[in-house]
Amino acid sequence: MEFLGLVNYALFTAIFIAIYALLALGLNIQWGFAGLFNAGIAGFFAVGAYTSAILTTPVDDGRLGGFDLPFVFGWIGAMLAAALVAWPIGKICLRFRSDYLAIASIGVAEIIRLVIKSEEVLTNGARGINAIPRPAGDIGYTESQIAYLVIVLAVLIAAYVLVERQFNAPWGRMMRAIRDNEDAAKAIGKDVEFRRLEAFIFGSALMGLGGALFAHFNRSITPEAIDPMVATFLVWIMLILGGSGNNRGAILGAAVVWIIWSVSEIATDRLPHEYAIQAKYIRLFLIGLMLQLVLRFRPEGLLPEPLRGDLRGSRRTTKSGTDPD
Amino acid sequence: MKTKFLALAAGLMTATALASVPAQADVKIGLLGGISGPIAAMAPAMIDAAQLAVQQVNEQGGIGDNEKLVGVVGDSACNPQNGTDAATKAVNIEGVAGMVGPHCSGAVLAAAGSVTIPAGIVMITPSGTSPEITTLDDKGTVFRTVPSDDYQGRALARTLKEQGYGKVAVAYLNNDYGTGLANAFKAEYVDELGGEITQFAAHEEGKASYRSNLAELAKGGADTLVIFDYGDGTGLTILRQALENGFFDKFVGGDGMKSDAVINELGAENLVTFVASSPVGEKSESLDMFNEAFKGVGGDPDAIFATTSYDAAFLMALALEKAGGKKDGVAAAMVEVSNGDGETIRPGEWKKAKELIAAGTAIDYKGAAGDHNFDENGDVPGTYALWEVGSDGYEVITEMK
Repeated sequence: MEFLGLVNYALFTAIFIAIYALLALGLNIQWGFAGLFNAGIAGFFAVGAYTSAILTTPVDDGRLGGFDLPFVFGWIGAMLAAALVAWPIGKICLRFRSDYLAIASIGVAEIIRLVIKSEEVLTNGARGINAIPRPAGDIGYTESQIAYLVIVLAVLIAAYVLVERQFNAPWGRMMRAIRDNEDAAKAIGKDVEFRRLEAFIFGSALMGLGGALFAHFNRSITPEAIDPMVATFLVWIMLILGGSGNNRGAILGAAVVWIIWSVSEIATDRLPHEYAIQAKYIRLFLIGLMLQLVLRFRPEGLLPEPLRGDLRGSRRTTKSGTDPD
Repeated sequence: MKTKFLALAAGLMTATALASVPAQADVKIGLLGGISGPIAAMAPAMIDAAQLAVQQVNEQGGIGDNEKLVGVVGDSACNPQNGTDAATKAVNIEGVAGMVGPHCSGAVLAAAGSVTIPAGIVMITPSGTSPEITTLDDKGTVFRTVPSDDYQGRALARTLKEQGYGKVAVAYLNNDYGTGLANAFKAEYVDELGGEITQFAAHEEGKASYRSNLAELAKGGADTLVIFDYGDGTGLTILRQALENGFFDKFVGGDGMKSDAVINELGAENLVTFVASSPVGEKSESLDMFNEAFKGVGGDPDAIFATTSYDAAFLMALALEKAGGKKDGVAAAMVEVSNGDGETIRPGEWKKAKELIAAGTAIDYKGAAGDHNFDENGDVPGTYALWEVGSDGYEVITEMK
């Protein structure tokens, strides 16, 4: 194993973690702040990925666009498109509570997937979109990965700072009040429907951005990427494990789950040659086992939600107050 | 608890780092496949077929100066997320000199775009049939041993025209296989040959009844139904219901429809007007040699894509041998070992190939799934034939050009 190889692998892993962290942050706004059980992450991820792909690729006769815009416009467009798609969905579905919303959002994600797969004039159908430009993609392998990691990290940090600010702001406290006791929040004059819709749209926009970052990194996007296993449920596991309601927990969860998911394959490869194929299934088992253990022994996640939203000034008391260790 | 989890994660990583010091003399190739995920049922046979090639190489002298060829299996799970992850690990952690796979087109595109093309590793996929792979800006490093869906669709259109088919309706499964075939067929049949397609409709798989789809397809007066689907799945249901209700007189299928399940379920006497295209190679010497060898290691040679997987791995080994076991030059060597010129090498003839390469003689690999003479895009022209149902199963009517 060469040192450079390890560096390349670490860079790749860091980029993927950052992309998944964006998805987890988006989900944290919806589930952690507002208590909305969105099981359709893959749908918003796909809308973002395809929007950015269409906006930034060169003209192609077979489908919509491309418009050959710089990647920044693609990413902003991805957020707007995901938000626009989320708005009518939220309008209709957010009247459902918890598990009903989950079922509705799975259905919505599936509709989006089928539209993308079937509408060739829009998305080139099942073949997907290819030759998406990667920012700083023309330089060497390692250099290009470093450059992309810097960009992705900048996006992630910006998103984290903004979301964290909202969490500690009155808006965040209001959201948690609505989540924890809707009737009480309504009684003191909060517009519950509108606020829930707000959280849903903000979260979806972040998921769309995550999708765009993913498509540009791979230089292609196909309907195969909208697999609920890797685009919805893996994100849920990350947030639950990291700690819903805690933005740092969401990012930590993304890192821990992806590292275990990816690195465990290297570990299982050490099994004897005859078991090379069977060994791959162990990974799926590991992820499931991990979720079970976390739910059983630490349902609040690795980094639990701060008891009082505002971490400034009261960190010490908050920590000792909630940490069962 | 927190520390326990971190300790667990750290322990796992340390164990991995300690365990993965490779023996220096090995030449590694990545065998990436959709082991988990939607094609989980197909992938093990494909990986086994590729491993057979690796095994034969090692039994007959290995790579270069008696070095061992090692196939590193990776799970691409048939999606880009795991495909790129597996490819990154194979290239950077295992240090493979070439890559066989991934299996699904989406994973191929992503792994090529973000890993193997930038890293300069040659990739050869046994089952990525998307036409998008042809247009990939790959600097000549992406190959495949399976023809693009585009090729078969167009060849089928030309053959049908030759055989005097008139107005047709097209029903295709809504996935990359069905869509790719159907679009290529339409482009050739209508735009190039001036034929008429009365109805052109996708369907989703797994429904109990397609009678309403068929009634819709029958509008427009076509007497022939072209089905791009799988003969052991939805395609069989459609064919049965079309026959039962007399919607069409003649039926045409792609290679997915040329399944024994069709004959077993519907009976040869009901299928006199049914024809299907399929890769030839059914009777080639190379295929017999592969079948023999694969049965010898307990494999099922009829498993889908087993032949292309074997050929991909064997070609990769030949190219590596010619390039001296290094990743540089593999792309050029890949074209040289299978361009139609030189001494013929058939599946399993590693020793002969090794001696010829050492002597500097040109070789030409004729594989189990076809001759694999790569064009400038790294694609292979398929060798297809049109088949009809005879008394002993499928029989060739004509070669497809």
